[in-house]
Amino acid sequence: MNFSSKLIEEAVDAFSSLPSVGKKTALRLVLHLIKREPEVSTQFAEAIINLRKNIKNCQICHNFSDEEVCVICKDKRRDRSIICVVEGIRDVMAIEDTGHYKGLYHILGGVISPIEGVGPNELNITTLQHRLEDGQIREIIMALSPTIEGDTTIFYISKQLEGLDIKISTIARGVSFGGELEYADELTLGRSIISRIPYRRD
Amino acid sequence: MQLNRLILTNFKNYEFEQLNFHSGLNCIVGMNGMGKTNLLDAIYYACMGKSYFGINDRDIVRHETDFFRLEAHFERLEKAESIVVKVMPRKKKVLERNDLPYAKISEHVGLLPVVIIVPDDTLIATEGSEVRRRFLDNTLSQIDQQYLKTLLKYNHILKQRNAALKQFGEHRKADPALLKIYNDQLLEPGETLHQKRAAFIAEFGPELAKTYLIISGEKEKVSCKYQSALTDQKFGDLLSAAQEKDLILQRTTIGPHRDDLNFQIQGRALKRFASQGQLKSFILSLKLAQYSVLKMKKKMAPILLLDDIFDKLDNERIKHLIQLLIKGDFGQIFITDTHKDRVSEIVTQSGADNQQFFIESGTVQSIQ
Ligand SMILES: [Zn+2]
Repeated sequence: MNFSSKLIEEAVDAFSSLPSVGKKTALRLVLHLIKREPEVSTQFAEAIINLRKNIKNCQICHNFSDEEVCVICKDKRRDRSIICVVEGIRDVMAIEDTGHYKGLYHILGGVISPIEGVGPNELNITTLQHRLEDGQIREIIMALSPTIEGDTTIFYISKQLEGLDIKISTIARGVSFGGELEYADELTLGRSIISRIPYRRD
Repeated sequence: MQLNRLILTNFKNYEFEQLNFHSGLNCIVGMNGMGKTNLLDAIYYACMGKSYFGINDRDIVRHETDFFRLEAHFERLEKAESIVVKVMPRKKKVLERNDLPYAKISEHVGLLPVVIIVPDDTLIATEGSEVRRRFLDNTLSQIDQQYLKTLLKYNHILKQRNAALKQFGEHRKADPALLKIYNDQLLEPGETLHQKRAAFIAEFGPELAKTYLIISGEKEKVSCKYQSALTDQKFGDLLSAAQEKDLILQRTTIGPHRDDLNFQIQGRALKRFASQGQLKSFILSLKLAQYSVLKMKKKMAPILLLDDIFDKLDNERIKHLIQLLIKGDFGQIFITDTHKDRVSEIVTQSGADNQQFFIESGTVQSIQ
């Protein structure tokens, strides 16, 4: 693309460095911003700077959070005897959208996949174990993607929790899920959390 | 089952070519390097979703172009099946059956059974075990969609286990708990592969011996034995026993991925004791036995692709082979030869209905 302006070119480069934004889309966004009031761009830029400067990981569940502890972990009305283990924040959002789950979460940050350099140590497994120490947690729901790596991770964590008096269950995975948790429709996901199945290791 | 029509765009040395085929014998003649093998590989590709020679999709694209397209119209169990393959830059390859794209290419395998014989296939007898496993997997995958699924699952877990072993080595610290989980995950697909392979060879072995007698016209006995560590011991025990070795070598040293086929002639190792002629006959028999088994299991005649199989054979043997192909219970056959008149003459003499093609530099001419 041939730009008449260095400023436009830089902005287009910045936008198109984002995932799934091509040069054409980036140019459209840039031209749009030029057309609007200068304040729109200022607010836009400030939102990004603010986000990056202030976003934190919840010290308890590793969810993204504005404070040291996230709103879910802080919420006194939630069931503190149950933890749903997920890969990332998008899974939390999907499950929250169903409105069927009132317990706590724990974000692993991925699944075990040595091919991609992710071993158990790269995931938030130890902090999960610490959360179980005071004996308040009665149940753990594993809501991981229905892949070989998801299986490996469920097996591994269950093994680490052996001997604890905690019920482990998994959500119904497979056919009804379009591959990953975040794509599952709310109804199906909600239903599968209610009808979760006790985990059995044979 | 038959291929009626093939349309190639930028496939290897074919810029654009439309071909209509005969339901029986198709003879394709042309000099070396003109594109005979590429044409057979295109047909194979339409059946299996990939090149027989393991050629990368990027390298199938014709020089100085950036995509290829393959369109094949089959007739299968009296129903039309159109298969389209599209490989484009920066896009995932698309394989469509009757305008519907497959979610996974592997789902296509087995729909259109195919057997291909090429000169390099003698490597199946002479090379390492990998080529024999590939032959075994190729056949079983076409017969049993569940087999292919199991194989892909097994290979995936194996890759993760090997990557984990490598990481343990790099960090100089093993995680036995993780290794144990990979062992457990490998068990079910590993045992399944073993059972299916053993059951297959039990059927395939006698078929191979029978075919060899017909092909060679001689009395030597050939056999094919399945060799697997899982035959005598439980996979789980094998993995546990090999754990230390695996940690040192940083890869999984035991399992169905190390299986082999043991080919024998007159009770002795084929690789060491067979003459060139015997070797050629053996490979031909192996593939034609594959054909018979596929035909029986799929309840339809696979497509048979024969690339340059007459090379270095005397006219008597060529005649014998062609008679066999014509009189045998085959469906559609594609056969290539470098000699312009050799095959056509023998075929014409035999009175078999056929269509002949002449290939020169990526253009094909039907000969009436
Ligand atoms: Zn939290």
